[in-house]
Amino acid sequence: MYLKPTSPNERRQYYREEWDVKNIPDYIRESLIQREFGFDHMGRGPNDRYRVFKNMDYLRKFMRYRAPFAAYSSVAFYHKPRRRDGWIKAELVFDVDAKDIPIRSCGCSNVCEVCLNQAKDIVHGLVDTIKGDLGLSNIHVVYSGRGYHIRVLDDLVMGADSDVRSQIVKYLVGSDVPRSEYSNQGMKYNLEHFTIPFAYPQVFTNRMKQAILAVNLETEIDGVNKNILKAVIKHRDLLKDHQWGIFRKNIGPIRYHKLVKGIASLNLTLVDAKVSIDLKRILRLPTSLHSGVSMISTEIKNLETFDPFQDAVPKFVYERD
Amino acid sequence: MVSISFLNPLSPEGKDIVRELGSFEGISQDIPQLRSTVTHNPSQEIADDSEIPSNFLELALKRIEWYVKKKNHREFNGRRYAYLSDDQITKYDVISFYLLCQAIGVKFGPNSRETRVMVESQGDLIRERLGKLHVDEARQLVEQSLHLYLDDDQVHWTFFEELLSSRKIRLTELILDQGELILDHQDFMERFGPKIKHRNPLSMYQLLIGDELKELIMIKLIMQETEDYIKQVHEKAKKMVEPNPILLELAEQVAEVLSRPMQSYGYGSMGGGGGPLKAGPLNHQAFPPCVKKALEGIKSGGRNDGIVLFITPFISYARLYPDVFRMNITKRVSDQDPNLEKTENEVLPLIYEAAQRCVPPLFDDQPQEKVNINAKLGFGMHSTLKMEHEGETTWYTPMSCEKIKLHLPPLCKPDDLCKKIGNPLSYYNRRIWEVNNLKTEGSKTQEEGDAEKHSKTEVSGVQKETDLTKSNTSDPNSGGL
Repeated sequence: MYLKPTSPNERRQYYREEWDVKNIPDYIRESLIQREFGFDHMGRGPNDRYRVFKNMDYLRKFMRYRAPFAAYSSVAFYHKPRRRDGWIKAELVFDVDAKDIPIRSCGCSNVCEVCLNQAKDIVHGLVDTIKGDLGLSNIHVVYSGRGYHIRVLDDLVMGADSDVRSQIVKYLVGSDVPRSEYSNQGMKYNLEHFTIPFAYPQVFTNRMKQAILAVNLETEIDGVNKNILKAVIKHRDLLKDHQWGIFRKNIGPIRYHKLVKGIASLNLTLVDAKVSIDLKRILRLPTSLHSGVSMISTEIKNLETFDPFQDAVPKFVYERD
Repeated sequence: MVSISFLNPLSPEGKDIVRELGSFEGISQDIPQLRSTVTHNPSQEIADDSEIPSNFLELALKRIEWYVKKKNHREFNGRRYAYLSDDQITKYDVISFYLLCQAIGVKFGPNSRETRVMVESQGDLIRERLGKLHVDEARQLVEQSLHLYLDDDQVHWTFFEELLSSRKIRLTELILDQGELILDHQDFMERFGPKIKHRNPLSMYQLLIGDELKELIMIKLIMQETEDYIKQVHEKAKKMVEPNPILLELAEQVAEVLSRPMQSYGYGSMGGGGGPLKAGPLNHQAFPPCVKKALEGIKSGGRNDGIVLFITPFISYARLYPDVFRMNITKRVSDQDPNLEKTENEVLPLIYEAAQRCVPPLFDDQPQEKVNINAKLGFGMHSTLKMEHEGETTWYTPMSCEKIKLHLPPLCKPDDLCKKIGNPLSYYNRRIWEVNNLKTEGSKTQEEGDAEKHSKTEVSGVQKETDLTKSNTSDPNSGGL
């Protein structure tokens, strides 16, 4: 019943009977005329672009009558959205796709409840860092159909260029191994990331923990062989009690270093970095239908209690034979 | 007391020094006091009279020369430039700093190699000078200097947007809490003290922030301001009728100092490799792992980026202008391939083959990408390469490793050499250089009638390079390197 493609009839039914333009989040409604819209009518990618809507009613009519396969709006705000010209600013966006999580515990071929939950945990971690470390607060999480979008609308970051955004991505996902050697007045000291309970080293420790708890013997990590993986799996429960020092000792410092390095480089794919650094990206419109899996792209009020299989399934799915 | 302008010529004190001097008049006159300061410096070594700067302009050139030699000369002797760390030269040094920025701004602009060298040399000079000062004095100067930039107690990390954008600092290097940069000791203790267990919070502060992070941030802020100043000069110079000839002459001399290491001891990404690199037929064995992987074809989702943005610039530069980063001179394809013969016969076929190996083949569903490939070669949005269209778009330079990791993460499977380079083109050049070097070494030893011994000793541990040499000579398509 779930996660199957939507038929053209089901699409029409959804946009006529269930979808309501009023449910589009305020942050899009309020900037409607500054955004570019894009549509995919045939399921072959968003070829119908450069669309602009003067008001919500035009958008409502368009969606109802065209019942697109997929609908998108730009993360960018433009003076001339019809020409994608006069760029003003862009939301800072992170795309966590359950299908592309680098270390998946489920091993399914598409998406399933397990990896969607894993994606949700990752989103939790990212949002915590966006708030706690980066001090940003205008954050919206949207279920995209196959994962989650985190959309940040703080003015402090909306003018940032791609290079700044790429630095933010690296910070959030933990793709740089923090240095462990420090010096003070000529003396050298060793401080592993897990001994520093704040700032970037802590972010890194959290991401490492998440990854280590998800690995299995089939996981491919650069520089990490099956023997290391076996040892990791054997000792990883220590991390639940924050026993990192003992974990590292049991794995062996050299092998631990390889593990940390390998996971750091995999972390770069925790989010789709291309989406975050693209200043003119279009992103699935919340409330619209993901026709590939028959799920509604849904703005999430409470991430803790959100369950896509409860809160993002269109009615027609329940009417299927 | 050391003046803050010794570290930061752009500080109000530094600007006062410039104001006092007034005009360019007498700028090239000898300053006996400068000579005397240099010669009386107890750490100074002088082998030749020409090593002593006699006026502002000579001092300016010495600043650049110091940086270039330090970077490139294995037997660099810092004591020959000891005066650069003597705060008694401050008022001359500040003037020479402004002269350099203005000369470079007027003549070369902000995106030039000269600007990069100027900005980096300023950063290195500050570091050098701080290292020679007494700890307390250095600490005080850093605090003062930082205070000029960060006048508020609480600084949001977005204040450093420019430094982050130019990658002068990494976000992961900063200690952040609730968006604020933590530098102050008390602030640190208040926010993180209770979280720290089994360690002394004070020593953790000294290790994680202490003098080091403050110095780093101060230095990078001054470097950024230097870059911004050069940019300003450049913008103003565009509106000026005639720039001062003294500045133009100084700019020429700076360029001359920068070109010296290329002739004498190698400069830039070659890491000690000699001589300019000539463009030659492509050697597939020398391609970095990411290029080899991309040439095998890319899966849907990464095809456009992989072929158009990554492979097209890489293959074209590797074949036609491998020196681009070292020379830092923008060129057109036709400057390197006047009748576009190599581009049509060697570059494009390789790109097209890679495109067809994609899954699904790129041109099957997106034939318009051929136009985009032409655009990235600098020939505008047209379906054929025509000279009259050249220049409508710019010839894209190869993506850096950093960009590849972000845009095309599955391609990045680094090997040992990858760790030493930042761009796949540097990897290619390095491998080619190794092959050439091996061949030269090989022919030398052969001349000595000792070829066997050579292959056992000098080539040990570089199996790949030996394979390369072999493949190069046996593959008729690869030509002679």
